Amino acid sequence: MPIVFENIHKAFGDKVILDGVDFTIEDGECFFIVGASGAGKSVMIKHLIGLLRPDQGEIYLDGEEVSRLSEHALYPVRKKCAMVFQNATLFDSMTCAENVALPLRKHTGRSQRESLVAARERLAQVHMEDFADSYPAELGDGMKKRVAIARALTLDPRYVLFDEPTTSLDPVSARRTDAVIRTLADELGVTCVVVSHDLVSIFSIADRIAMLYKGHLRMLGTPTEFQNTSDPIVRQFMRGEAEGPMEV
Amino acid sequence: MTEASATLVDSGPSALGRLMAPVSAGVNDIAGLFRLLGRTLTLISQGKREQGALLEQMYIIGNRSLVFMCITMGFIGAIITFQSAVQSQRLLPDLTMLGATFIKLLVRDMAASLGAMPLATRVGAGIAAEIGSMVVTDQVDALRMCAADPVDYLVVPRFIAATIMGTAVLIIAGAVAILSGMVIANGVFDVNFHTYLNFSMVTLGDVGLGVTKMVAFCAAIAIISAQRGLSTFGGSEGVGTATTRAVVGSSFAIIVLNFFISGLGYFFVPS
Repeated sequence: MPIVFENIHKAFGDKVILDGVDFTIEDGECFFIVGASGAGKSVMIKHLIGLLRPDQGEIYLDGEEVSRLSEHALYPVRKKCAMVFQNATLFDSMTCAENVALPLRKHTGRSQRESLVAARERLAQVHMEDFADSYPAELGDGMKKRVAIARALTLDPRYVLFDEPTTSLDPVSARRTDAVIRTLADELGVTCVVVSHDLVSIFSIADRIAMLYKGHLRMLGTPTEFQNTSDPIVRQFMRGEAEGPMEV
Repeated sequence: MTEASATLVDSGPSALGRLMAPVSAGVNDIAGLFRLLGRTLTLISQGKREQGALLEQMYIIGNRSLVFMCITMGFIGAIITFQSAVQSQRLLPDLTMLGATFIKLLVRDMAASLGAMPLATRVGAGIAAEIGSMVVTDQVDALRMCAADPVDYLVVPRFIAATIMGTAVLIIAGAVAILSGMVIANGVFDVNFHTYLNFSMVTLGDVGLGVTKMVAFCAAIAIISAQRGLSTFGGSEGVGTATTRAVVGSSFAIIVLNFFISGLGYFFVPS
């Protein structure tokens, strides 16, 4: 099993976010983590790359327990497991090319010039080569997200974590982002873990879905299983209904 | 478990625990500051710098603070000279030593201590707000994902720039305070420029003590503000809180550091 979460507990102060969550993610699949806002979806994936530490529980990546690694020991983990953040998180003081080149320089020790050449190639893959010398402030949200994806892919990671990749995007940009994610899984064999509550994305590109609710794993299954579930809470979420038993 | 015992278990921390919580938080806060200072100094000693980052911060912290600091210290110099002259005239009408005493006081202490306060609002708030907003928008996590140490990348350039350029700005602003005092002394009390610009009381020790304070205050502003920024939690409200805490913490540190450095100066560099 490439990614295993075992009995993950996490609280911020008195507020319990994750209360014993277990699931595994298979190699090369497009795995969605869904749930209402504040359900702990982003918290869950940040544990995988050491941006957060669980209060209790273990996380295995390729058989290696990663939740107790030091910051320095996490660098190889972050090299093979990239993340696209919700807000794109490009560095404002750098051009798009410099943003994409940064992981190359830092992780591989390549020179600035070499890294920039490689960064331009990456930007071309997401059709952003014409904006290589632009600053993030000059770009729209969808374009920033594509640059962020290029930055995440620059080290050819085996795993990519997407935190709400289609949030704040127009429908066309959102579906293009979905297509990029699906292509990564299908053509490059990259395992994509996607945090989202975009129902269109979930039902169009997910292989499997895990739903978090009140700190627990409420349901794990395929999109078809989610559509046919009799669980009233899961059903309400998947149908996007305002009325129902779900507490938000 | 009975209902009564469940109530006891769920009653939360004890009164002593609640009382000690702010103390414990304060100790952790100070420990965090020293850890960050230690890590920053270690990284500086290793000598690797991001190209351009230091120069950019030197420009932001130094050049962009200069006009504000010169105007502020200009007014402060004028006010202190005016009040000193008014008070001293009550005792004796001779103002020939007005400039000499003011300049000594300014060089030894006030250029650093009075100047560092507005500098903390300008530079400290800026550092905390910038780093804090990077924290809440996940940019600091993105740096960590790129194998870039946020301390090396964000704190070190700001620390070096604030220490060097902050000190330079305080020296220039101190000079402006002397000039504005001179203008007031001449215009209001008819003390001529030559009499006012009397550096005879200023010793090399005074200059050393004053510059030591400036360096210490600027370093404190940078490290406290960076730590407040890095510990930002929440959204825009968190950034606002971090900025306020940076200015309050920096101002407090300036006063405490001034007390101890002045105390040492009293023994080692007598006035």
